[in-house]
Amino acid sequence: MGEGNDDGSAMPDNANNDLLASALAGEAFLLLDGAMGTQLQERGLAAGEMPELLCLTHPEVVTEVHAAYVAAGADVVTTNTFGANAAKLGDAATVEEVFSAAVACARAARPRYVAADLGPTGQLLAPMGPLGFDDAYELFARQVRAAEAAGADLFVIETMSDLAEAKAALLAVRENSGLPALVTMTFEEDGRTFLGTTPEVAALTLSSLGAAAVGINCSLGPSEIAPLVARMAPMARCPLMAQPNAGLPRVEDGVTVYDIGPEEFAAAVEPMLDAGVTVLGGCCGTTPAHVAAERALLAGRAPVRRVPLDRFAVCGPQRLVALAPGEVGVIGERINPTGKRRMQEALRSGNHDHVVAEAIAQERAGAQILDVNAGLPEIDERAVMCRLVDELLAVTTLPLQIDASDPAVIEAAIRRYPGKALVNSVNGKAESLAAVVPLAARYGCALVGLTLDEDGIPATAEGRLAVARKIVAATDAAGIPRRDVAIDCLAMAASTDQTAPRAILEAIRLVKTELPGVRTVLGVSNISFGLPFRPLVNATFLAAAFGAGLDLAIVNPGVRRMMDVVDSWRVLSGEDESARFYVEHYADRSDAAPAPAPGDQGGRAEKDGPAAAPADPVERARALVLDGRSGPMADAVREVLLDHDALYAVNEVLVPALDEVGRRFEDGRFFLPQLMASAEAAKAGFEVLREAASASGAPAAEKGPVVVCTVRGDIHDIGKNIVRMLLENYGYEVVDLGRDVAPEAVADAVVARHAPIAGLSALMTSTVPAMGETIELLRERAPWCKVVVGGAVLTPEYARMVGADFYARDAMETVRIAGEVLA
Amino acid sequence: MDVVQSYDIRSVDRAEVLRYLGYAGQELSPELDARVDDVVARCLDVARPRGTVRIFEVAGRGEKDGIPVVSLGGTALELRGRSISEHLDGAVAVGVLAVTAGAGIDAELRRLSFTDRVAQVVFDAAGSTLVERAADAAEADVVAAASDRGLFCGSRFSPGYGDLPLATQQVLLAALDAQRALGITLSAELLMSPTKSVTAVVGLFEGPRAAERPSCAACPCADFCVLRRSGRACGR
Repeated sequence: MGEGNDDGSAMPDNANNDLLASALAGEAFLLLDGAMGTQLQERGLAAGEMPELLCLTHPEVVTEVHAAYVAAGADVVTTNTFGANAAKLGDAATVEEVFSAAVACARAARPRYVAADLGPTGQLLAPMGPLGFDDAYELFARQVRAAEAAGADLFVIETMSDLAEAKAALLAVRENSGLPALVTMTFEEDGRTFLGTTPEVAALTLSSLGAAAVGINCSLGPSEIAPLVARMAPMARCPLMAQPNAGLPRVEDGVTVYDIGPEEFAAAVEPMLDAGVTVLGGCCGTTPAHVAAERALLAGRAPVRRVPLDRFAVCGPQRLVALAPGEVGVIGERINPTGKRRMQEALRSGNHDHVVAEAIAQERAGAQILDVNAGLPEIDERAVMCRLVDELLAVTTLPLQIDASDPAVIEAAIRRYPGKALVNSVNGKAESLAAVVPLAARYGCALVGLTLDEDGIPATAEGRLAVARKIVAATDAAGIPRRDVAIDCLAMAASTDQTAPRAILEAIRLVKTELPGVRTVLGVSNISFGLPFRPLVNATFLAAAFGAGLDLAIVNPGVRRMMDVVDSWRVLSGEDESARFYVEHYADRSDAAPAPAPGDQGGRAEKDGPAAAPADPVERARALVLDGRSGPMADAVREVLLDHDALYAVNEVLVPALDEVGRRFEDGRFFLPQLMASAEAAKAGFEVLREAASASGAPAAEKGPVVVCTVRGDIHDIGKNIVRMLLENYGYEVVDLGRDVAPEAVADAVVARHAPIAGLSALMTSTVPAMGETIELLRERAPWCKVVVGGAVLTPEYARMVGADFYARDAMETVRIAGEVLA
Repeated sequence: MDVVQSYDIRSVDRAEVLRYLGYAGQELSPELDARVDDVVARCLDVARPRGTVRIFEVAGRGEKDGIPVVSLGGTALELRGRSISEHLDGAVAVGVLAVTAGAGIDAELRRLSFTDRVAQVVFDAAGSTLVERAADAAEADVVAAASDRGLFCGSRFSPGYGDLPLATQQVLLAALDAQRALGITLSAELLMSPTKSVTAVVGLFEGPRAAERPSCAACPCADFCVLRRSGRACGR
C-alpha cells in the first residue's frame, strides 16, 4: 500500500478532523468502505468460520481488504469486528485482543478514519428473547472500551433488526466513549426490520438518542433501499446514511453471487443523494470497485441540506405518531391507579390482565398514545413500571407516555424502551428541572412540562406562561427540540374557581404564541370536579381548549363524548381531510344513540347460544362451561345470582362443571383446547362472582398463593399459562412471574408471599439445570415451599434429579397436587 | 436461485395442528371448531416463511474422541455423532437448510399470552405445523439441487436428533449466515428465535434411497417440488 491517502481527493494537511466534523454536521459527504465478509470469503474464509479471528491469525489478509478500499477512495474503513462480542467469541479470543488487532489491521491500510464495527449480539433481547437489555449493553460496552483503547476514530453500529438492541449499542458508545456513532438498521422488502421496525421509527428513535448518523445497510440493493432511506429523512435529526448490498444474493452453480456491478450500483445510489444521504458505503457483495464508483459519483457534488419536519413525534418499536402543527392527538389516561380500585388491585397482585384489557380498549377507542402510571405507595414502582411497559409492548403498538414522579422510575423505563417515549413529567421546580430535563435529553424523549413550581400553580395565565418559560429555557439549554416539549397548563376545577377555565385557555394561547414551536397538552377531566354530569363539562372544555391551540388531550377515550369532540374538531380544523373519517364513522350516528360502556374487558363477541340452550340458568351455566363458551357466561351467572347466593354458584355450578371437564380430559373425551376453553368460560363466571363480592365489600376467598414461572433461559410460557389458567379456576391465587425468570426472583416472590407451593416450567433440556438451581435456592430460602415441576422435556426421573417435590405430567395434575399440598 | 427463498404457504394441515394439541377424535363444539380455523388463518396471515439452503461436499469421515465426525468442504461445520454418521453413510454431499416462520409469530404468541390463552395454544401448534411445511419446501430445494447433479436425497436430520449435538446449531446457522439472511438468532441456551425455526441437514447420495420414501404421493416435499412440475422425479 502506498504512503498516505493520495487518491486525488483534496485533503489539506490539517483537514482530517474537519472532514469528519463537517460530515457529521451534514455539510460534507463521508465515504465508508464496502463489504468485509464477502471479500474475506473470496480470500478463502470458510462458511461458518468467525471472520473476526482473521485479525489475529491472518492480519495481512484483513489489511489487504482495508487497503483496497482506501485505494478506492474510502474516507473510513470499518474494522473486521462485526461479531466480536464476548458471547460470540467464547474462548476463541478476548474482545480486547480482537479489537486491538482489528484496529491495527485497519490502521495499517492508512485510511483517514478507522471506524470500529459493532454488529448485533446474535441473541434476541428481552422481552421477546432471553438476553436482558443490560446484558446486551454490557456486551457492547466492553467492545466500545476495547475499540477506544485501540485507537478507533468513530463507531459504526450496523445490521440491527431490533431497535432495543440498536439502542443498547448506541447507549454503550455514548456512555463509554466520546466518539461519534453512525447507526444503521437492516430492512426487508416490506419496509420493516425482522422485528417490525419501520425506517421512520428507526430514524426518529436513534437520531433523538444521539446517533451521529442514521441509515440503512445490508439485506437489499440500492434501488430497494432508496425509498426506505427517503422515509427516514423527515424524522432524522442527523445525517442520513446508506450502505446497500450489491443487490440480492443468488446461488449460481453452487456459488453465491451479487448481480449489481459498480456502475449500476452508483447509478442506483444517486437518487439517495437527492433524498439527502451524505454518508455512503456498501454492504454484502460490494467491492472496492463499487466504492470507487461511489467516490466518482460524489465528485463535484454538494450535500443536499435537510431540515427535519416540524412534527411532534413519538414512537414505539412499530408505530410512529407524528402531529403536524394544528393536528390534535389523544393520550389515553386509564392506566393509572389513582382513584381506580381495580387498577390498584391489579398492580398490587401482579395480575395485569385488567391493565392489558384497558390498553386494548383504549387503542380500539382511538387513543394514539397510552399514559402508563404505576404510582402506588406500597409497591416497587420501578419494577412494576418496567414490567408494565414490557407487557404493553406485547399487546399494543401505541407509543407510551411514561408517567412517574420519581426520576429513577422514569429513567428505568425510558432507558430500554424500544422507541421514543413521552415523559410525564417535569415541572418548574428547580429540583425537577435538574433531575428530569437531562433524562429526556439523554434518552431522546419528548417531555411534558407542568406549569407549577415552588409557589404552586399560578392562578393567572401570565403566571403559567412564566413557569412554561422557565421549563422551555431549561429544555432549550439541554438541546431538546421545542417540538418535543409539551406544556401542560393544568386544568383546575371550575366549581371552586370559575375564573380558572379562562385562565387555562388563555395560558394555552400564550404558550403557543410566546414560545413558538412548543406544544401543549392537557389532562381535561379536573375541570368538572364537583359538578354533575361531568362528561358534558369535560367535552365542552376540551372543545374550547382545542380552539385555544391545545395539541394533545389526556382523556379517557372510552367516553364516547370525548372522542366525539376530537373527531368533530378534526373536521373543523381541517385535519380530517374531506371529513373522510368523520363521515365514515358518524354517518349513522344520532343523538339518541346511547354511548356504549367503555372497555368491554376484551371479552369475545359471541352470538347467543343455539336455540336449544337450557332455560334454567344453572343448567345453562354448566353447559357453557362444558362447551367452553365464555361469551354468554357472565349473563348466565348473573341470572344464577338472582335466585342463589355466590356460594351456590361456586359449589353447585362452576366447580361441578369444572370437575366434569377435568374427568373428561383425564379419560380422553376432551383434549387440551377444550379443557382450556372450558377454563376460560368458568373464569368468566368467577369474574362475575368476584365483582359481586367486591361490590358487597366481602374479600374474595382465595387459596394459595401459588407462584408459577418458566425458569431462566426459557421463554416458552404456554404450559405455564395453562397451569395458571386452571389453578385460577380452582380458586387459587396465582402469582405469575412470567418467563425466563431468575432463581433469585422466584425465591424473592415465594418468600415475600410465604407461598406454600411453587410451580416451575421448562421446555428445553438446556434449561432444566436452571430449574435445579432455582429449587436449590428455594430449599435454602423457603424450606416450607413445595415445588412442582413440569414441561415437555421433563420426566419423573428428571424431576427427582433436580430435587422437585412433585412431577406433574399435565396442567390438571398440577391442580391435583396443589389440592394435596394445601389440603 | 435467490439465496433467501420465500415460501408460498397458504394452508396447513388442520389435522396436523390438532395432533400437536393431543387431538384423538374428540367431538369439537362448533365454537371451538371455528376458533381453530380463525387461529390457523391468523397464523398463515402473520407468518413470513422463508429459508435458505447450501450444499457442501463431504470432505471426509473421521473420529474425534471416539465419536464419528463427518467433515464438510468449504465450511467450519462438522457433523458429530453416531446417528448422523449412519444417516449420512455413503453421502457425497450434504444439503444444509434453515427456515423460519418469522418473528411475527412470536410477537403474536406473546400478545395472545396476555389476551387469549386458548388461542395461544392453538396458534403455537399452527406455527409448528407451518414451519415444518417451510422445512419441506427448503428440502425440496435441496432435492432439486441434488437432482441437477444426478444425486438422490435422504431425509432431514436436525441438531438435537439422536446424538447430533444441539450445539451444532451455532456453526450451522453461521455457515448459512442465518441471522442476516433470515433473522434467526441463538440464545446461550441454544434456543433459536424466532422460535418457529428449523435447521436440518440432508444427505446427497449417488444411488436412490427408495427405502426411505415410497412415492411422490407420500412425500412431504411434493407441494414444493420443482422436478414434478417439469415432469421429472427425484427417484429417492
